[in-house]
Amino acid sequence: MEIEDKNERSFLNFIKWIIPILLFCLVVVMILFTPAFQDCAFKIKSLSKGSIVFSTFSKDEIGRLVLLSQNNINSIKTKLDKLKPVKPYIVVNTTENRFSLRNIDGDTIRTGVCSTGKNEILIAGSKRIVFKTPKGMFAVQNKQEDRPWIKPDWAFIEEGLPIPSARSATRIDYSTLGDYAISIGNSYMLHGTLYQRFLGLPVTHGCVRLGDKDLEIIYKTLSKGSKVFIY
Amino acid sequence: MKNKLAFWVITIILTILVIYIMVNTALMPVFTKNPLPKATIRTVNDKSKSGKSDQDKYRDDTMQTLPATNNSEDAQLRLFESRKRENLLRSRLTLANEDSMYLVLDLINKTAILEMKGISLHESHIIDSEVSNSITTNHTETLLNWMAVPFTVKNVEATIPKISFVEKIAPKDSTEANKLVTEPTAQRLGDVYIVMDFDRNLRLVISQSEKPDDDGKKLISALYWKYRSVEIRKSIQSLFRFNREPVRPQIHIVLPKSDATILYKALPLNPRMILRL
Repeated sequence: MEIEDKNERSFLNFIKWIIPILLFCLVVVMILFTPAFQDCAFKIKSLSKGSIVFSTFSKDEIGRLVLLSQNNINSIKTKLDKLKPVKPYIVVNTTENRFSLRNIDGDTIRTGVCSTGKNEILIAGSKRIVFKTPKGMFAVQNKQEDRPWIKPDWAFIEEGLPIPSARSATRIDYSTLGDYAISIGNSYMLHGTLYQRFLGLPVTHGCVRLGDKDLEIIYKTLSKGSKVFIY
Repeated sequence: MKNKLAFWVITIILTILVIYIMVNTALMPVFTKNPLPKATIRTVNDKSKSGKSDQDKYRDDTMQTLPATNNSEDAQLRLFESRKRENLLRSRLTLANEDSMYLVLDLINKTAILEMKGISLHESHIIDSEVSNSITTNHTETLLNWMAVPFTVKNVEATIPKISFVEKIAPKDSTEANKLVTEPTAQRLGDVYIVMDFDRNLRLVISQSEKPDDDGKKLISALYWKYRSVEIRKSIQSLFRFNREPVRPQIHIVLPKSDATILYKALPLNPRMILRL
């Protein structure tokens, strides 16, 4: 009987200590999850304040301000419309190696795979040659059919060949660029490829390689000045 | 008897501590400090000084304080929505006149849009989003002023690199070059967790909807705890200083891994963002 009584007392004693233990846990939780408590406090604050938006404006004044705001919206919309491309354009996604050809309304005419820069640095002595596709907005500078490729120095360095003179005939390559080449400046182009099986992979030295059919359609759709967005 | 005294002393101390922490870390920063600092809007005079574009000449002259009278809630809400839309379009126009890509976070239509020159380059559906109450419960001029101009990133950290290069030593001759030729393979997408701290106190967290692999889990957890530990440290410090800084409003969005990677890699180093709430 006495033992039972002792057990009961020690149990009650233990129960009693749960309160400080819980309080201690609360202290720890509040320090660990302060942002959550602050978020709750914001909810409480908003409930106490109600949903008053512009308590300082009179009804007439609000009407005038809405009208003013609407006029501003229309004016900004007009300015934004003026920025829209006036010619069909192409958007190139370098992460997924895909392109999207769009008309002036932004509707997609054609999508497909392409190949973009392989993000490689070729180290040749003190030279560091970076192979990557530039990102941003470009414009079509010129278009050419059956354009020969004048091989730059890096093409020889990469193949372990001696660099020929600037006017050497060995620099001229008639097959690499495919049927069409669209120049977007700084020696970067949208062109065809001999390696169709690599389309969809990042393998180029910075240009955008396209499949034959896609290239033909893009070549015929884009004109000089058309925008090329690369991201 | 001794036990009883100890119980009451400890309970009272802990209760006071709970109240103190509650007031100091949760209530005081919320009720006394503004989490949404006002955006700096350039006026016409500023423009002539800094030589900025004509987008900056828009002056927020409608935000003047007028005498208080009774007004209907509907009219106020209409003005609020109209002003919000105006701010959004104005921000879009400002960024469309610049040469960089920017992010449009449309939490109404649940889309994250990569834009340039007003053209949507890539659109991604936001699978899930969580916005701090400090933003969602604030239907006031403070919110409008806060998001009046585009946000600019101050600091970004991510589990994936912005751009990764492979370094290759040029071959000595064609024989060595032939040996170096390898079959190209598709790039493996790493698991994504991005934390972007913008000006005006805003934090944007982007995470992927897919379950990360073991390596990804470690990277994500390391970055997550890095930021959490800063918060915890601040909470502890504020207990002694009694001057906690304003609450940081946070937006957490969940995107498909591929979209999160595309957006992160496409955006410039210090990207700008427009928020639509």
